[in-house]
Amino acid sequence: MNDLVLSTSELRRDYHMGGDVVHAVRGVSLDIARGEYVAIVGPSGCGKSTMLNLLGGIDRPTSGAVTIDGARVDRMSDRESTRFRLHHLGFVFQRFYLMPALTALENVELPMAEAKVPRGERVARARELLAYVGLGARVEHRPAQLSGGEQQRVAIARALANRPRVLFADEPTGELDAHTGTEMIALLEQVNRDGTTIVVVTHDDVLAQAARRVVHMRDGVVVDDRMATR
Amino acid sequence: MLLPLLLLAAAQQIDSIPPRVAPRTVAVDERLAGDVGLRVGDRMVLSSTPGGPGDTVIVGALVQRAADPSEVARAEYRVRMHLDELQSLIGYGDRVDRFAVQTRGGAHTDSAIRAINHAAFGFQAYRSREIAVETSQTFLVVSRFHRAIGVITIVASAIFLLCIMLLKVDERRRDVAALRMIGISARSIVRSVIVEAASIAVAGSGVGVAIGWAASLGINWFYRGVYRTPLAFAIVTPGIVALAVALSIVLGLVAGFLAAQRLVRTPPLELLSGRREQRGAANAAAI
Amino acid sequence: MLFHLAWATLLRHRGRTVLTVLGVAVSAAMLLDMVMLSSGMRASFRNMLVASGFELRIAPKGTLPFDTDATIPNATSIAHRLQADSDVTTVSPVLGGQLHVTVGQRTINATALGGIGRVQGDYDITDGRVPSAPDEVVASAEFLRASGLAIGDTIRAAAGYDPELRTTTGSRALRIVGRAHFVYLPAEQRAIALPLETLQRMQGARSTDRVSLFMVKTRAGANADTVLHRLQRTLPNVSMISTASAMQQVDQRLSYFRQLALILGAVSLAVGFLLVTTLVTVSVNERLGEIVIMRAIGVARERIVLQIVLEGIAIMLAGAIVGLGLGLLTARYLNSILASFPGLPAAIDFFLFEPHDAWTALGLLTAVGILAGVYPSWRGASLPIALTLREEAVG
Repeated sequence: MNDLVLSTSELRRDYHMGGDVVHAVRGVSLDIARGEYVAIVGPSGCGKSTMLNLLGGIDRPTSGAVTIDGARVDRMSDRESTRFRLHHLGFVFQRFYLMPALTALENVELPMAEAKVPRGERVARARELLAYVGLGARVEHRPAQLSGGEQQRVAIARALANRPRVLFADEPTGELDAHTGTEMIALLEQVNRDGTTIVVVTHDDVLAQAARRVVHMRDGVVVDDRMATR
Repeated sequence: MLLPLLLLAAAQQIDSIPPRVAPRTVAVDERLAGDVGLRVGDRMVLSSTPGGPGDTVIVGALVQRAADPSEVARAEYRVRMHLDELQSLIGYGDRVDRFAVQTRGGAHTDSAIRAINHAAFGFQAYRSREIAVETSQTFLVVSRFHRAIGVITIVASAIFLLCIMLLKVDERRRDVAALRMIGISARSIVRSVIVEAASIAVAGSGVGVAIGWAASLGINWFYRGVYRTPLAFAIVTPGIVALAVALSIVLGLVAGFLAAQRLVRTPPLELLSGRREQRGAANAAAI
Repeated sequence: MLFHLAWATLLRHRGRTVLTVLGVAVSAAMLLDMVMLSSGMRASFRNMLVASGFELRIAPKGTLPFDTDATIPNATSIAHRLQADSDVTTVSPVLGGQLHVTVGQRTINATALGGIGRVQGDYDITDGRVPSAPDEVVASAEFLRASGLAIGDTIRAAAGYDPELRTTTGSRALRIVGRAHFVYLPAEQRAIALPLETLQRMQGARSTDRVSLFMVKTRAGANADTVLHRLQRTLPNVSMISTASAMQQVDQRLSYFRQLALILGAVSLAVGFLLVTTLVTVSVNERLGEIVIMRAIGVARERIVLQIVLEGIAIMLAGAIVGLGLGLLTARYLNSILASFPGLPAAIDFFLFEPHDAWTALGLLTAVGILAGVYPSWRGASLPIALTLREEAVG
């Protein structure tokens, strides 16, 4: 597992708030190998969510480089980075952010439809993914009819739809109770075991411990980066 | 009856007709004068048939057109001349189309009408008001049409207003939910929305009245130019302003009330999450 | 998927969607009515003028047909000179007047039209036949109803009435041989058509060899305006009007309604635009999280804009369909008001529906629906993803 899927070099992100400048990320260099399961942890305001957004091409760095599978994400135009995210990356958020007007099946289909996957193929894969996350019997339910944990499972299935190289998760257990959170952690472990590189940002110690590598951030810099002890 | 040359005989005092030795004067309406370039003192020939023999007359005065709605759409020219001259010119003899009679008013008018109609051979006396009603049918139709458009506009405005109020109030449902959760009563919320709706309605009315007044100036300027008449086509009266303002305020209040009621009837948690109560049952089943 | 998402989003807020559709329907109805008004009167007037096939009308100098009581002298000579023109196929002389018909103790007044039965273009026979003898007439349905008479009855009619002596002049017995629909007269008008010579005799010396109007048909392929100019040179003491110049007169006299139609139509479009913009803006603001997530997972901005614009178009189209029915109903009501103008020919409609009008209104509404949705959706789809997600999380 030495081949790198993601690397950053001297990554910086500054925000201008009125007359002040906030240095959210200060010169972070990070390498992630294919198949790794990395947790980025740290106190509130340490820059971990900003770091995730930079890694995923959702935000543009003030300076520095982000490379995913040889592609310089930081140099892509908005259109290019959108296409890149569609085909190569997956995202899971704290608040699930499913389309409330669509069923679970249709939510998982959405990225595949955008990628012009033929209908028959994408429906079959969506069903397969929902079964994989344990929701095979709930495919026609809308988000309002699903529990928080079920919604997050659908979000994970959606993130896996286009076979991403990296799956980014921002506080995936943040809105879940302890029991459901544990189920989510187990699911992410399963996803990683099946070959998907995962980068997760979390406050949750249990989730952090499930990762194989933990990167500690404070005040925008990485203060510790070690393999997790189990 | 109107004559081929569209001449209108004004009822002047009927004197004994002196032998004419010099051209007599006529009064010409300003539209005719403007179109053919006539000025006071110019001579012209009046005839009852096109190209036929006629009388030479002198333009003695230019007459401004009256603000008469019945003249607006008709592109007529008018010449005022002495009665006897017109009678002679058109071979009408000792005849007129009508007499206009001024009485001492009140009961005198009634008794005059009775006396005339009793003694009359082949003519009838009418109050001017009765004639006006008959001849203003066209404008009654236009009034009815305008009123219908007005009613349709009011109904349409009510629907538009309700739509927009519902949308805008709906946009703030999370704020309303938070207020309800910290203990603000539904009544207070409804009241505040109504006050807001009323303020918008009053402000909107003010702007609307200003726009309407400005539009009426524009309409009068434009149509007076098109029809060459001093007639006022659009008049904004205090009554109309009062009606428009009252209507918009009432509509605004009703729309605000309905929008607010819809919001406060929804439980706060549902407002926040957007989920309905029956989700609770689905939740229990899933776990 | 985009269509499905747009549709599903609209259905999610049914009440709001229905109310907005209703608002758009009212706007669409008014727009349709105004489009109908702006072209209807003109179209129906033109249809009325060309219905009988007469392209030219000749009236006393300086007047429009039947605008005054003036008549054209030397009618026979003028008719011959008109007929002599190689491009003229039919000349129909018409004399107007009043007939005072005695029915029992009552006197009923009727508009009289004297013409030549085989060439006339003023009426269509609905029952019976065209007058062929000097003492035969046809009458309007309203006259027959008011008088209680029927086809086959004989009437006593006079062309003149002396109010001083209360006596009639030019009285004659006439037989009703048909019922007719008078094309250029109001539906409620009491009217009688009779041979031209009969009416001239009844009117006495003042109408000898005089008519109120000539209607002229030109041969197929001839340019009516060219014929008009040629005839005008030979007959300078009359006024000639082609259908085109008559339409110009009508345009000028009825310009008020066209301008009203334009203004109200524009206001309707503006209000429809405002409604859809408001709906789309509110909808976008509510769904900012969903929108940026779609961007985050890789849906292109243009596709998001397209999906939201589709919602606006769907509302416009639904509103347009409902508005079509509503518009036709209100047009009928408004037309019934305007149709009561005194002296308005029955053939004139102010609100005339032509499919072209519906397509025009639909096209305008669709364009407005697109414009209304584009800006708010583009704005929503262009928000910075990371910042918006943070704000949504905090909110």
